Amino acid sequence: GFSFLQGSKLEIPLWLAKGLHDSKRRIISVELPKIYREAWRTVFSADANVVDLHKMGPYYYGLGSQLLNFENPENPEIAQTILQATDSVCSLQTFVARFRRIMDSSQNAYNEDTSVLVARLDELERALFHLGQKGLNDFQCWEKGQASQITASSLVQNYGKRKLAEVDG
Amino acid sequence: GDLGPFNPGLPVEVPVWLAINLKQRQKCRLIPPEWMDVGKLEEIRDQERKEDTFTPMPSPYYMELTKLLLNYASDNIPRADEIRTLVKDTWDTRMAKLRLSADSFVRQQEAHAKLDNLTLMEINTTGTFLTQALDHMYKLRTNLQPGESSHSQEF
Repeated sequence: GFSFLQGSKLEIPLWLAKGLHDSKRRIISVELPKIYREAWRTVFSADANVVDLHKMGPYYYGLGSQLLNFENPENPEIAQTILQATDSVCSLQTFVARFRRIMDSSQNAYNEDTSVLVARLDELERALFHLGQKGLNDFQCWEKGQASQITASSLVQNYGKRKLAEVDG
Repeated sequence: GDLGPFNPGLPVEVPVWLAINLKQRQKCRLIPPEWMDVGKLEEIRDQERKEDTFTPMPSPYYMELTKLLLNYASDNIPRADEIRTLVKDTWDTRMAKLRLSADSFVRQQEAHAKLDNLTLMEINTTGTFLTQALDHMYKLRTNLQPGESSHSQEF
């Protein structure tokens, strides 16, 4: 196995960090990625919409939530709670601030180019965006009358093709 | 149930699917519902634009009925094009209102909302998006409580 000097800094996967973390034994302490730290929090509170969460993440919300598991044993407990709370508040506030744009653009019926916006969304936001789009697309499909048309299932279409190949081969 | 009697020249009430079917077979003329009228729809559209709350619609299926009747029986409906536009305008206003509502709900991080007079069509178009968003918000919010039991495992 490997042995490490006390105090060395390493990059490890989140799952490993979680496994090693134990507030009583203090094996490791976790350093917050810069996007979750003070300086970036100011940017978020100024205007959360400008941040490219995909570039910074792309799992900003997910990772942010997981990071709350790690207490920094150097800080007094109260300050830690506040820090965690502030981190969460920031994530939540960020989500709230960006929500409107995601909703409006995913439900926009004019097929305007939304790719610029989507590029800057983190994965959670993208999933939401696609849900909004689906709702809209289903509606438009219904409006055009496609909802009541019976179309051949792709399974059946492929079956026909395979049969022909068998005859030829 | 029972339908009829069908006497030529006399109007009779039937289920929509039958009406459409008979019309397609050119066996009848459809009489539009009382609210499917330019004057009435203009009133509704204007009220929708003016009020912050949702106008009670003359039918919980106003979108569906408008689509069906205008598609299959527009010749029986006076000023059909205007009606189509009016209904679409009202729909657009209602959807915009719904999004506005959703946004202020999210901003204020409310726990409950009551939206009267929405029709199923409107709810279904934005519904999945909204419930997922609120789900995420809930998870983010429960992260605010410190302690080991509050972290979410899956995201």
